[in-house]
Amino acid sequence: MDKVKLNLLIIVISSLFYSKISIANSTSGEWKPQIIEKMYILPPKQLNKVLNNDFNSSILALNLQNTDSKIKSKIKKINDLKIMLPDLSQEDKMEINHQIIVNKRDYIKEMNDLLNMKKQKLNTKKNFFIRIEKKLKNKKIVNKNFSKFEEDKKNAIKRSKSLDFKILEDTSSDFTKKSKYFEQYQSNNKAIKKLELAIKNHPMNKQNILVKNPQNKLEAVQNFIQSIDAEIAVLDMKEQIISYMAKIVALDAMSLAESITLVDNSNENDMKNYNDPINAIEFFTN
Amino acid sequence: MSKQFKIISTILLGLSFIQPTNAGPIDNLERERSRVLSHILNKDISILERNQLVKKSKMKLLDLERMVINDRDISNNPDYHTRKAFDNFDLTFLVHTSLEKEKSISITWLESLGLTTNNLMSTRVSRK
Repeated sequence: MDKVKLNLLIIVISSLFYSKISIANSTSGEWKPQIIEKMYILPPKQLNKVLNNDFNSSILALNLQNTDSKIKSKIKKINDLKIMLPDLSQEDKMEINHQIIVNKRDYIKEMNDLLNMKKQKLNTKKNFFIRIEKKLKNKKIVNKNFSKFEEDKKNAIKRSKSLDFKILEDTSSDFTKKSKYFEQYQSNNKAIKKLELAIKNHPMNKQNILVKNPQNKLEAVQNFIQSIDAEIAVLDMKEQIISYMAKIVALDAMSLAESITLVDNSNENDMKNYNDPINAIEFFTN
Repeated sequence: MSKQFKIISTILLGLSFIQPTNAGPIDNLERERSRVLSHILNKDISILERNQLVKKSKMKLLDLERMVINDRDISNNPDYHTRKAFDNFDLTFLVHTSLEKEKSISITWLESLGLTTNNLMSTRVSRK
């Protein structure tokens, strides 16, 4: 019984400070996205998929899965113990209640770890998208500065392309002796045109408007950040729920400790106190 | 002695700021273009000779123009000359413009400068 009391005391003390300590705990593994720079040009939806795949291969994801299974086993154990409760004697009931409280405490600890890990995942994801957002914004500024030159270059390419056929069909003696570069330019140009057509007609390219419009891409990335923020806010609320759960467990533990003390006292009351000479009279009179 | 030392150190310091430059496609184009223009403006050669020289350079100039137009690296921090070159397409890409206008390179270039037959005919010699 003393051991149970000591355990309950530890639970009460640890539970009272739980909500404050829990958030600082972050020994749950790491996730550093291993996405190469070139992937940044992917549309946000695809980038999110790549990011999720990257997370699945991290230590954090593995720890998240382990903690998830631990939580499930704790819940099962608590349920099993609760089923056992009605058919037990007073003392066994106390022992089972003690076991329930211990399991509840473990559940809260695991759940807190899980929330921390989820938060860590979301924060990493958020930082990743913030980085992309910054890059897109910088690109926009750079594009603004070079817009005149880019426009000139685009026009030059357009004018040059429109002349390709004319040069090829030119029967004048100017281009009869073709250079090595001229020959290769023609063959490469044909291949590029074929590929451009294939890209244009690709169903995924038709679906994806974001690639063509960087403004839309920026908005999509900002929407992702917004949804991640919403998920983090939900996790914050869940943390609050966990802290309330911890308080209830502490109160349960306190009440159990009190009931154990009452039982101990009543047992002590049943036993006669031989320190008082009145209680020892029978030894002398019989 | 100290004056000499100052001069030498200034020269050395000046040299340290000079960075080696790599000739990009736009420099090669400029070189070839200036060669063609020098043929056009050369008064010491016959018309036939001039035509042959310009014709000889036309293929090379076309290749260089295509190289510059399709150069993907040129957009990375373009310098003043590159910007100007693309700004004045008609003057920079002479073969392309001449094909567009279906005129010879020399006429295309002179017209781009505003030196048309009508303009020249309308001028008169006068003394101020």
